[in-house]
Amino acid sequence: MSAETISAALVRRLRTSAGISDEDIETIRALPITVKEYAADRAVVRDGQRATECCLIAEGFCARSKTTSEGKRQILSIHIAGEIPDLMSLFLHVMDHDLSTLTPCTLGFIAHETLQQLHRRRPNVAEIFWRDTLIDAAMFREWIVNVGQRPAPARLAHVMVELRERLKAVGRVERNSFEMPLTQEQVGEALGITAVHANRVIKQLRQDGIVEFHRGRVTVLDESKFEELADFDNRYLHQSPAL
Amino acid sequence: MPKFHFHIQENGRLIRDDEGQEFAGTDEVRKEAVATGASIARDAFISGSACRVIVDVREEEAPFLKVSITLDVEDSTES
Repeated sequence: MSAETISAALVRRLRTSAGISDEDIETIRALPITVKEYAADRAVVRDGQRATECCLIAEGFCARSKTTSEGKRQILSIHIAGEIPDLMSLFLHVMDHDLSTLTPCTLGFIAHETLQQLHRRRPNVAEIFWRDTLIDAAMFREWIVNVGQRPAPARLAHVMVELRERLKAVGRVERNSFEMPLTQEQVGEALGITAVHANRVIKQLRQDGIVEFHRGRVTVLDESKFEELADFDNRYLHQSPAL
Repeated sequence: MPKFHFHIQENGRLIRDDEGQEFAGTDEVRKEAVATGASIARDAFISGSACRVIVDVREEEAPFLKVSITLDVEDSTES
């Protein structure tokens, strides 16, 4: 995979969300990036590990999660092509959660030292990455509201609509359908419910003619019902430089 | 390990679990049934969509255990 392909989704996203300049894009494309292929369900970087590089998702889906001492896993976020889910490891040296793949992934690793040099050389890029980690935090706030306050069907719909909005920004939505490669168990871990409850919610949404979720793919059956259920306001994603 | 099916009833509405899933032991099945019932009941009771939730667990076709949760509110101000 060429340097241009590795950073393609990232560049596309930063163009729309942060209005990055062509000159800054060139410096990102010129970064030395080590490309690795990962199978599904592999740890990229683990809780407690000292990270020395950041991981750019070129293709595939990852998730961040944390596991309690009792072994219960909470999925904290889902990540897609064009995102750098462990960008904070540049400043927070020891990981406080796990980052793992949900699907087979093409990942580009950028050494912390490279990013530090880039930030010093191009403060604009540093600001854009800073903004990116702030949006990351905004998404976590929304995730807390979602898991804490919405009933399970709305919770699932909200996670789906958010994912769709983000996939749109990197051109990965086909009409009324998009990928959400989570198993029933993982849906449960994301929403804080049991796998059986997750299964029931998925069935209910299909029976009600709102959305079909099958083999890691979401197909929207009724767009207005779907949006109404999700109670979604995209402001927190800050997908344009004006927001 | 056989497959366990979790059929769920909310008031009259039944949602069948035809796929089922495997568990490490029967203790895990019981825990999953109770946690599922509690979590579904929470949503249903608060939204008012149902006041009775039943998780009917079957080992293949045979009844294995049943968790029933009923909402019972006594309003003392009503005559």
